[in-house]
Amino acid sequence: MSVTYIDAIREAQETLLREDPRVFLYGQDIAAFGGAFKATKGLAEMFPDRVLDAPISEDAMAGLAIGAALQGMRPIIEMQFADFSSIAFNQIVNHAATHFYRTGMPVPITVRLPSGGTAGSGPFHSQSMEAIYAHYPGVVVVTPATVADAYSMLIESVNLDDPVIFCEHKFLYRWLKAKSFQGDGLPIGKARITRMGRHATVVTYSAMVHEAVRAAERLQKESGWEIEVVDLRSVKPLDIDTVLASVARTGRLLALGEAFPWGGVTAEVVSRVVADGFHLLEAPPMRLNSRDTPVPYHPKLWAAHRPTPESICDSLRKLLSY
Amino acid sequence: MPQLGESIAEATVVRLLVGVGSAVTTDQEVMEVETNKATMGVTALCSGVVEELRAEEGVSYAVGTILGVLDVTEEEVARTGVDTLESLEKKRLEQVSEQQVKGEQNLHFAVEGEGYEEAAPPEIVPSIRGLSVPTGTMGAHYISPRMRARMDEMGLREADLSAIVGSGAGGRVTVDDLEKFLDYIQTWPSSQASPMRLAVADAMRRSWTRPLATVGTSLGLDKVLSHRRDQTKKAGPTLYLLRAFALALKEQPEVAGFLIGSKVVHPRSFDIGVAVAVEDGVLVPVIRQVDQKSLVDLVQEYDDLVDRARRRRLTEADTKGGIATVTNFGTFGLTWGTPIPLPNETLILGIGAGVKKPVWSEHLSAFVPATEADLEMTFDHRVVDGGGAGLLLRRIVGLLQEPHLL
Amino acid sequence: MTDHTSITSQRTGADYVRAMYCAMIQARMLENKLSSLYKAGKIVGGVYLGKGQEAVSAALGSALIPGRDIFAPLIRDQAGRTAFGEPFIDCARAYLGSVLGPMRGRDGNIHRGRPREGMLAMISHLGSAVSVVAGSLLAKRLQGHLPGTVGATCVGDGATSTGAFHEGLNLAAVEKLPLVVIVANNQFAYSTPTSRQYACEDLVDRAKGYGVTGHSVDGTDFLACAGVIGNAVSLARAGGGPQLVVARLLRLSGHGEHDDGSYVPDSVKAGIYGRDCIDVAEQQLLEFQIMSAEEIAAIRETAAVEVQAAVAQAQQEPVPDPYLEDWRAFSSELSQPQS
Repeated sequence: MSVTYIDAIREAQETLLREDPRVFLYGQDIAAFGGAFKATKGLAEMFPDRVLDAPISEDAMAGLAIGAALQGMRPIIEMQFADFSSIAFNQIVNHAATHFYRTGMPVPITVRLPSGGTAGSGPFHSQSMEAIYAHYPGVVVVTPATVADAYSMLIESVNLDDPVIFCEHKFLYRWLKAKSFQGDGLPIGKARITRMGRHATVVTYSAMVHEAVRAAERLQKESGWEIEVVDLRSVKPLDIDTVLASVARTGRLLALGEAFPWGGVTAEVVSRVVADGFHLLEAPPMRLNSRDTPVPYHPKLWAAHRPTPESICDSLRKLLSY
Repeated sequence: MPQLGESIAEATVVRLLVGVGSAVTTDQEVMEVETNKATMGVTALCSGVVEELRAEEGVSYAVGTILGVLDVTEEEVARTGVDTLESLEKKRLEQVSEQQVKGEQNLHFAVEGEGYEEAAPPEIVPSIRGLSVPTGTMGAHYISPRMRARMDEMGLREADLSAIVGSGAGGRVTVDDLEKFLDYIQTWPSSQASPMRLAVADAMRRSWTRPLATVGTSLGLDKVLSHRRDQTKKAGPTLYLLRAFALALKEQPEVAGFLIGSKVVHPRSFDIGVAVAVEDGVLVPVIRQVDQKSLVDLVQEYDDLVDRARRRRLTEADTKGGIATVTNFGTFGLTWGTPIPLPNETLILGIGAGVKKPVWSEHLSAFVPATEADLEMTFDHRVVDGGGAGLLLRRIVGLLQEPHLL
Repeated sequence: MTDHTSITSQRTGADYVRAMYCAMIQARMLENKLSSLYKAGKIVGGVYLGKGQEAVSAALGSALIPGRDIFAPLIRDQAGRTAFGEPFIDCARAYLGSVLGPMRGRDGNIHRGRPREGMLAMISHLGSAVSVVAGSLLAKRLQGHLPGTVGATCVGDGATSTGAFHEGLNLAAVEKLPLVVIVANNQFAYSTPTSRQYACEDLVDRAKGYGVTGHSVDGTDFLACAGVIGNAVSLARAGGGPQLVVARLLRLSGHGEHDDGSYVPDSVKAGIYGRDCIDVAEQQLLEFQIMSAEEIAAIRETAAVEVQAAVAQAQQEPVPDPYLEDWRAFSSELSQPQS
């Protein structure tokens, strides 16, 4: 019997609803329908007062969560797609994120963003928004890559007193399977060495962790290179210590992400490694992101828009031959 | 099985609405399928007769699985643009060959064990962008931050990398090359260099960063030697040279100028050093204001400094502030050399051993015996040219032909 | 907000209008002091006054129950804040940057609040508080505390043009929450007249579109404000769902003290909404014998003393020290604090 990434998200929400009366879910189509991705399937039957359908008002959904959190609740907002959270951007970054600093009173909301690309989803159902939110002080941004992380980090997110943007990757929903929801229990803010290596470090997160591992396995088979893969798990806080320790072992860094190339998590990783670990670098650090266009609709274009094991291998070969 | 929604990988056939032999029309629902999101109908895209049903009720099929086959007329295929079994196979083959050609595959986690085409290592082209190093930077020229840190940790200098053949882009020496080299030299006998050796090495390495040139001429020593014979307090030939050097420099001090950026720093005082060979190195005590002291006055000071140098009893002040150095490698029986100035000086004057030679005398129209030594001056070519250095050298030779004036 | 903890039910009748008048006078005197501090260069940043809007704001604030209700004031709600129990010192400290104030110098002027006590700290993005108050009410519903509770917020005519206002009011209507939204239609959003803000005849007509109860009032008419706004709050409290009150009035100052409001035509200033609601209030209080001239004078005198004391205290208090500031935007002890 195996469980999927989406099962983990559903299960975590059920656990939270069952164990914490402060938790409630608000989002479009999440009640009787069970959500566009079935992340809340059956929950409205179990908790009819606390799993509520929202109007198509992302700004008001986020505002509502903030108001409820100020009254002691632990709301979880489901954005139907991460892309639509742009409508709620103001409430999240200006209202929720500033509140603790301004008033001393934290705003414990969790906003779930079904993120990232899947074939055929096109420009408005494929975005990766983590960098935009991470830019703002006061927002925790998590990007689980494993079934166990999806489960434990969602529970941890809701229990954190600060606003959390929970970036769950749609591609992993049903493709990614595991034996159980139990993991190593790493907390938010700690990166994980997913694969050990000594010739180069790939720092990545979310679905790209799996692409990086594939690329690493291919290079090992091809020419014996041993590639270390670091899963950031949360992009804010960013566990730069684990990254630096890995670069200290390997001397070479590839920062990999599915988001657009301008700025973002990969740029942040590179700039911190250069600033704090310049002496560790045997080659200029590299970045690999999606292309700098909107996410295309057609599966062939989409597959060439995002990093793939092939393009990751190409980048690594270049990095290793430096 | 159609793609029935976001991130749906498979769906279950709930009910078959047609059987083999049934006639179907365009857009007719032929079966019901269920995903974890919804139940929906699967429609036929054209009219025809069901030839084969591959799907069974209650069974899940992956997206893209062929669930059944319709027997359709060619006209109907043309009218509706649907895929046939043949066209699907053709597309599949085209896709496979395209992937092989381009190495581009839309493959994700579900696909296992695909082979990988061995690729030639990518060629590194010089560029101002990305990973390439500038062209023509062989050997140790480009040092990565990591290698710089490793070298600092080990006290290595760029000159220490000269023996390593680089394997990195553009032939650069990588940190791996360095580690391998260090492992390699482990197998050779080695000893710890003395602090004196390291100090000289450091001074010479720093000095060698400049464009140094050497000029030389012959010096007749007979006048000096006969003058020396008449003295009670005898100065050595090095001291004569020292005194002549100081007087000549006083006349043309710019030759001893020191170039820093766009500035030439001129001598403040004619303080000149003397190279003294000691165990495993050289020390250079400095004699002060050589231009203002007579030869006789200098003897005591000179002897004292040389003695203390040999006994390694010099203070830091004794070796500071020189503007040039004199070295007598004649004491080793050598006749010529190319001395290297101290890194903080522009000039060094070297003298070889005196040798008795037949010299043509115009006056006597005959060869006569004479004692001569070779005199060499090495200078920083940024500061002074061969002509200027030669002028200074000839003036020194001239002064030494009138030793009573020294 | 100690003075008001004794209130356990919504004020009515003479109690209500007396409380309103007190808050109006106190707010006006406090704001006059702020204006003079600004002109003396004692205040860093903007000063935004509610002059001319006190009757509307106080009618709302005095109808709310501190400690139970939720109130999200906007920039011209000094009277409502005071009526809801905000002490003068909060205002003085926020404007003068005292580190002892509710915002500790991290935010200033009208952005202050006491969210733990139900008075939210506004952000500058207009309309954004509507859904936040709705969320606080939804929380109370889930917690079983909703009956008898009201949430209220104020906006201007400009905020009605935002998506946030629309989304928030629609959501509150869908959830049937006891939300009172006051639109102080003061005819100018900064310098933009209402003709460039909306094209409908009257903003209150929108109430029907949202499925909420609409109310109109002359915002300069003290007793009318008490009647209409007090009633709207009562209706919400009694389970009547969201209430939209549109008050017509005129801002009797610039957008902020840096602005002379020269774009407001003299004809508008001379018009019906150009009158001062405080003059109207005193006239009405005397006419209907709710308060005597002596009582009014005493309230004014006390207010002046208390305002002066608060400002004097805040001026002597320490300002924030960047070296002592913890510079943390997270409340959680995350394992890797962001550098």
